[in-house]
Amino acid sequence: MLFWILVAILTAAVAAVLLLPLMRAAAPLPSRHSHDIEVYRDQLGELARDRDAGLIGSEEAELARAEIARRMLAASAADQAAAERTPKRLLSNRLSQAFIFLCLPAIGLCLYLTTGSPGVPAQPLAARLADPNGDVNILIAKAENHLALNPEDGAGWDLLAPIYMRHGRLEDAVAAYDRAIRLLGPTPARMGGYAEALVAQGGGLVTSEAQNALRKALALDPNDPRSAFYLALGLKQEGKNAEALSAFRKLAGSSPADAPWLPLVNQHIAELADSPAAVGPTGPAATGPAAPGNPTPGDIAAAKEMNDGDRQSMIRGMVDSLASRLKEDPANLEGWMRLIRSYVVLDQRDRAEEALHEGLIAFPATGVQGKQLLALAQELGLDAGGDTE
Amino acid sequence: MIIELGHYALVLALATAIIQGLLPVVGVRRGDPALMALAANAALVCFLLVAFSFAVLTFAYVTSDFSVKNVWENSHSLKPLIYKVTGVWGNHEGSMLLWLLILVFFSAMVALFGRNLPETLKANVLAVQAWIATAFTLFVLLTSNPFARLVPAPGEGRDLNPVLQDIGLAIHPPLLYLGYVGFSVCFSFAVAALIEGRIDAAWARWVRPWTLAAWTFLTAGIAMGSYWAYYELGWGGWWFWDPVENASFMPWLAGTALLHSALVMEKREALKIWTVLLAITTFSLSLLGTFLVRSGVLTSVHAFATDPTRGVFILAILVVFIGGAFSLFAFRASHLKAGGIFAPISREGALVLNNLILTTATATVLTGTLYPLVLEALTGDKISVGAPFFNMTFGLLMLPLVAVVPFGPLLAWKRGDLAGAAQRLFTAAAVGLLAAAACYYAVNGGPVLAPLGLGLGVYLIIGALTDLVLRSGLGKVKAGVAWKRFSGLPRSSIGTALAHIGLGITLIGIVAVTAFETETVVEMKPGAVVDVGRYSLRFDGMREGRGPNYTENAGHFTISRGGVAVSEVWSSKRLYSARRMPTTEAGIRTFGVSQLYVSLGDDMADGGIVVRIWWKPLILCIWGGALVMMAGGIVSLTDRRLRVGAPARARRPLAVGAAE
Repeated sequence: MLFWILVAILTAAVAAVLLLPLMRAAAPLPSRHSHDIEVYRDQLGELARDRDAGLIGSEEAELARAEIARRMLAASAADQAAAERTPKRLLSNRLSQAFIFLCLPAIGLCLYLTTGSPGVPAQPLAARLADPNGDVNILIAKAENHLALNPEDGAGWDLLAPIYMRHGRLEDAVAAYDRAIRLLGPTPARMGGYAEALVAQGGGLVTSEAQNALRKALALDPNDPRSAFYLALGLKQEGKNAEALSAFRKLAGSSPADAPWLPLVNQHIAELADSPAAVGPTGPAATGPAAPGNPTPGDIAAAKEMNDGDRQSMIRGMVDSLASRLKEDPANLEGWMRLIRSYVVLDQRDRAEEALHEGLIAFPATGVQGKQLLALAQELGLDAGGDTE
Repeated sequence: MIIELGHYALVLALATAIIQGLLPVVGVRRGDPALMALAANAALVCFLLVAFSFAVLTFAYVTSDFSVKNVWENSHSLKPLIYKVTGVWGNHEGSMLLWLLILVFFSAMVALFGRNLPETLKANVLAVQAWIATAFTLFVLLTSNPFARLVPAPGEGRDLNPVLQDIGLAIHPPLLYLGYVGFSVCFSFAVAALIEGRIDAAWARWVRPWTLAAWTFLTAGIAMGSYWAYYELGWGGWWFWDPVENASFMPWLAGTALLHSALVMEKREALKIWTVLLAITTFSLSLLGTFLVRSGVLTSVHAFATDPTRGVFILAILVVFIGGAFSLFAFRASHLKAGGIFAPISREGALVLNNLILTTATATVLTGTLYPLVLEALTGDKISVGAPFFNMTFGLLMLPLVAVVPFGPLLAWKRGDLAGAAQRLFTAAAVGLLAAAACYYAVNGGPVLAPLGLGLGVYLIIGALTDLVLRSGLGKVKAGVAWKRFSGLPRSSIGTALAHIGLGITLIGIVAVTAFETETVVEMKPGAVVDVGRYSLRFDGMREGRGPNYTENAGHFTISRGGVAVSEVWSSKRLYSARRMPTTEAGIRTFGVSQLYVSLGDDMADGGIVVRIWWKPLILCIWGGALVMMAGGIVSLTDRRLRVGAPARARRPLAVGAAE
């Protein structure tokens, strides 16, 4: 409310200042030539001073004086001619006043209401830090500031990693898990979380790096359901359907009957049992990052309704659209990595190699990003051909 | 709430600018003094509103209010306070707001100090200013709003581009904008004169100081930018003919021409059409510069705007204002009465020659800058027009200009005596040649043209001094009298001499660096020694350090001459944590006006590091000259604004003592 009062006061003040000259009785306008004559008079005075100071000779001064005098005469002649014409009677400026009255609030409010955010208060950082009050971003920032000064605080990284994960900051989550593991040693929860972050970062694909982490987690605790699930998902993505099916069945067998992940596991079991050929990155983690070409929640819901043939074609459609988007805008490393992975999953290795080749054109192998692409190719067993040069 | 008030103030400024652009023009047509008087009030209100808005944005930066998107994108809570403030204009949105602030500031200055202007002229000038302000406020509000909000607010910002976290860059854009936008006033005066179809006597008295002030700021801005690029980018160069640099250089060239014609116009009422045309051209080039930098059509260190809608918007502004002004000029220029007459050989004539050369040079730079863009748009071919093109064309054009510069002040108004002027410049030419010869002797076998260039620089300086010596009559009259006459000289002629001397100094610096600099690239391990010119450099080792928002690796070097350690220097590579972006902080040691420049390259596998070392002889002359030029501008600005040029009498053999 106070804001709107201030807005009204500001608008009224501006209007008042603008209306002021219109209210005053207008003084008669001096003729234009009188200004010129004024200037010439000043110039004559200046000339006289220069001559007295000895800066110019009296002869030059005389010549200059003659020139100025000529201009002055011409100006006063024009002045008299102009004076004979009677000045136009001033029309009422009601219209102008109305224009100002309307223009200010109309333009001001229309534009402000479309571009502004009137309800949002100012939020200086100091005030937010003093009173975080459930402001997650501030809590994260505080933790980050703390960890920037004490980078060896493993517990801090351990705490922060799942929070990053929840806020979709996947890269930070991977790094935080990595640090926590290096500082505090692996636990099933840390290794599983690390792998989950890697899977999310890879757009739902269980990479070999993630699989390694998952195996380590299971070595520490063979009954960790999350790690078992992702490992099984990885097997399914690689097309090892029989192994995936037995892994999922084992997980289902060892889970309590009311476990929240059970419906998902059962769905995978049903899919694998029905159609051994079914593949596709439709795991739960596929909703993670906001990289282009990611299936939207709507896509995933639709995919769940489909039969396998439809689902395959939908996945192909998404991959194709990603490929065409990358053709238009190749400066998208994450997109290339997703595309290459997707082709491998769809078992189109020649296309994957083609995509790798194109990706390396956008990101030459000499750069950091090009090296990432090459590493991915190595991991997936693709032939980078002559691009490594 | 304060943020939103700042936003609303900006919107209100737009409404005020629209009123200021419409009603005073109606007032002039109807002869209504009340509506004309409205312009001044509106200009002041508009300035206060934009200033408030700018202050609010600065406040958001200082308090790290990350609920403002612009602050989140370009600031960081750990950044030193000064860079929080300068971060306001270290990004696209904020810098456009600064542009606008300076524009309305100048309008307010015209409104405040324009009491002796004819009412109709003042109303028209302020209306034209308001049109520009309207266009740019709309641009800011619709395509680059600095007050866009983020809900919920992030906890930490993404930091300012580290290359921009530097004191040089902190003051470079405001200076440059003061120059660019300062020319808007000249533009508005020119357009107002064209609208009215006449030029008042007061017109020139106003245009000259504005031109001078804008030119002085632009000189400072360009010099600052060049020096910043020199020490911050770590490439060792000081001018790259980069399109963005050209964008600021073109208004400077045109502005220099404008300055000289405004001078003639003030004193002799001649060159009116030239002045109007150059005023329009100069500001058009400023707008073009803004477009090139802001639209993202160029890919260079400065191009932080990549949104195509912005480009189209600025292009539209460009077309309307430049196209409109030149059309107006085409229709109305014939209505303007030509002023005083003069003989071809006279000071006026010399200045026309100066204008011709400068505008041709501007056209050359414009061609070199735009040709690659046009070619790319038409055929898709990417070419780059580099230094060789500019050095050939621009350099060749500057050569005759530099040769005739000292003649200008020595010729009399209206009709001059070329032989007499040449005679009086004999000393300068002789000393210049002598310097060239001495230089040739000193570096026998060096580049052939370099001594000539240095000689030309010396000739410029002595030529400018000759003018002052002759005027004060030094050597002819007693020293005391000469001093009295010297101190009584109009400050504008001292300013002229200073500006020309500055040009000479810059020329000497450019030639010396181009011809005689040495570059050494070596891989060094701690303890290694390398010889650079007369000095030798020992690499002592690296040290890790940490700043508020970066970590750095600094190398220490000991500089010795003839086996005796004379100085030391740190050169470092920094990594800014928020953007994970590396920068180079070159180590620079000054010896006299020459510099030793040390920049670190990549680490080698065997523990060594690549080091680039330049010896830059006389390099500080380049910017020192610019400083002297600025001093000339300021001195001339403090002169009274009533100068009259006394004409020389016809058929007189020598125009000795012709005064300003």
